[in-house]
Amino acid sequence: MDAKLARFAFALLITLLYLFLLAPIIVVLVISFDTRQYLAFPPESLSFGSYAKVFANVKFISAFWRSLGIGLFVGLVSIFAGLLLSLALSRHDFRGKGAINFLILAPFLVPHIVLAVGVMLVLGPLGLLDSYSGIFLAHLGITTPYTVRTITMSLMAVDRRIEEAARVHGASPAMVLWRITLPLVRPGLIAGAVIAFLISFDEATISLFIVSVKSSTLPTEIYHYLEYSTDPQIAALSVILILISVGVVVVVERLIGLRKAL
Amino acid sequence: MADHHLEIDNLVKTYPGALKPSVDRVSLSLPRGEMLALLGPSGCGKTTILRMIAGLIPVTAGEIRLDGRGISAIPVHKRNMGMVFQAYALFPHMTVAENIGFGLEMRGVGKAERTERVLKALDLVKLSGYGERRVSQLSGGQQQRAAIARSLVIEPALLLFDEPLSNLDAKLRDEMRDEIRDIQNRTGVTSIFVTHDQDEALSMADRLAVMSEGRLEQIGTPRQIFDRPRTDFVASFIGAGSFLTGTVVAPGRADVPGLGILHFTGDVPAGGKARFLVRPHRFVLGEGVNAFSGVVEHVVYRGQILTIAVRAGDHRLQADLPTHAATLPAKGDRVTLSVAPDDVTLVGEAA
Repeated sequence: MDAKLARFAFALLITLLYLFLLAPIIVVLVISFDTRQYLAFPPESLSFGSYAKVFANVKFISAFWRSLGIGLFVGLVSIFAGLLLSLALSRHDFRGKGAINFLILAPFLVPHIVLAVGVMLVLGPLGLLDSYSGIFLAHLGITTPYTVRTITMSLMAVDRRIEEAARVHGASPAMVLWRITLPLVRPGLIAGAVIAFLISFDEATISLFIVSVKSSTLPTEIYHYLEYSTDPQIAALSVILILISVGVVVVVERLIGLRKAL
Repeated sequence: MADHHLEIDNLVKTYPGALKPSVDRVSLSLPRGEMLALLGPSGCGKTTILRMIAGLIPVTAGEIRLDGRGISAIPVHKRNMGMVFQAYALFPHMTVAENIGFGLEMRGVGKAERTERVLKALDLVKLSGYGERRVSQLSGGQQQRAAIARSLVIEPALLLFDEPLSNLDAKLRDEMRDEIRDIQNRTGVTSIFVTHDQDEALSMADRLAVMSEGRLEQIGTPRQIFDRPRTDFVASFIGAGSFLTGTVVAPGRADVPGLGILHFTGDVPAGGKARFLVRPHRFVLGEGVNAFSGVVEHVVYRGQILTIAVRAGDHRLQADLPTHAATLPAKGDRVTLSVAPDDVTLVGEAA
């Protein structure tokens, strides 16, 4: 009897914790169907009106495609850079290895707002503010630490003897990389690309400092929209973004198993 | 063409930052078709030699020649070696057939010929029908066979085995031991295998090279190594036995302090000191030329043999006796052990 009670209490606790964590998302979801022109909870009447407005908002739509393109490109380049860095750091000894390791870790430790100021001051003189190149570089800087992390984890799980066996049996170093190492670190590459994409797609702080009109991303558009108006359009857009993130995670889970990838 | 297929000449390997060389001036050679065992405790440098032959690590000094040609400058993937790794190191993302065909693919062998040769290799290691399986679907012994097939299919100049049996359980180990020897005999591929297991080395190899602390202690046939060890290390590493040190008083006679006169065969000038070894199975119960009596201190029954330790004078003699006798010695019994002079091994002259 006591055991049953304990189990019930435990289940209740877990449910409450999840409710607490999910509450903001649930509120946003509900508000996104509200018909009023301001953000308030609970809604009075429900409709898909806000969603229709989001899809009719040219600024949001063009910023969405820009963010998607930037995210995909950043994801790809970031795993390429991450792969080279991981191979160098985990397979070779060289001078300055410690310094590079620290530099890669640095974006984890430095607050994004500080990074943003630094990135702005660097890109400014180069004439890269409000340009695609500028935002690519900025996003690469913050995503590469993650891809290095996931790829290094995968690389460390690869038994070196397997690569040696390939070499002994006739594979050149390039062939070993292409036929043995890359297929074996595939989970790390996919996880790295997904994380890099999601970070880039979601990044607001640094983007706000370095973009204005030409290369505005979805997060900066949302921020600017919120400065002037607060209506359920934002909630609807948030729901769409949540669905995209969940969709990406589900696809990865189906493809390779997220636990394996991370 | 040289007399020997593989020659290793004064090979040295010193790892960066190491005080002592891991391999210290080792020279040995193999005729075509021979199977050599590199035997020694862990850290003796045997695996290092194997990896230098394969080209996985650079040599510090000395030379490795194949058919008279130095190979130290040839990169790993062009040496045409086969290597069977301790944990097999099969490619986990490929099927068994893809694993075996990998070396051929790297050599640009066409698909049709590749398929045919892979099938033959599968047959050779008794894995016919397993080609399409994933590596993870094979048992340990089957993975071992697949690893051997992967190496054999490229018709390597040398087949290198790195502790090939240490990952298998005892029963499978005996089976694979015969199997590997059989495959090696049939293909005639010159082979070197590294092991720390003396039984494995004695039963599988044509010759044994015993190593200790980077140096080659002795090289010879299993019988030479077991019956005529030239150093204390070889004598104690391979098999058990009782060591005796004595002063030679006359040809074939030595005075062993605390034991008595020991008759032996071998040339040691009178007045010199010599080290002797008596293998446990060489002792017999009863009187003889070299007879030593003492009290049985320890008895272990092993089925076919009874191992006893006898305290004789200052020495503890170990003897293996057959168990078919009517009565067997028990702990505390007084017994006499004897050994024929021919069965006393002269290990070397002591300082």
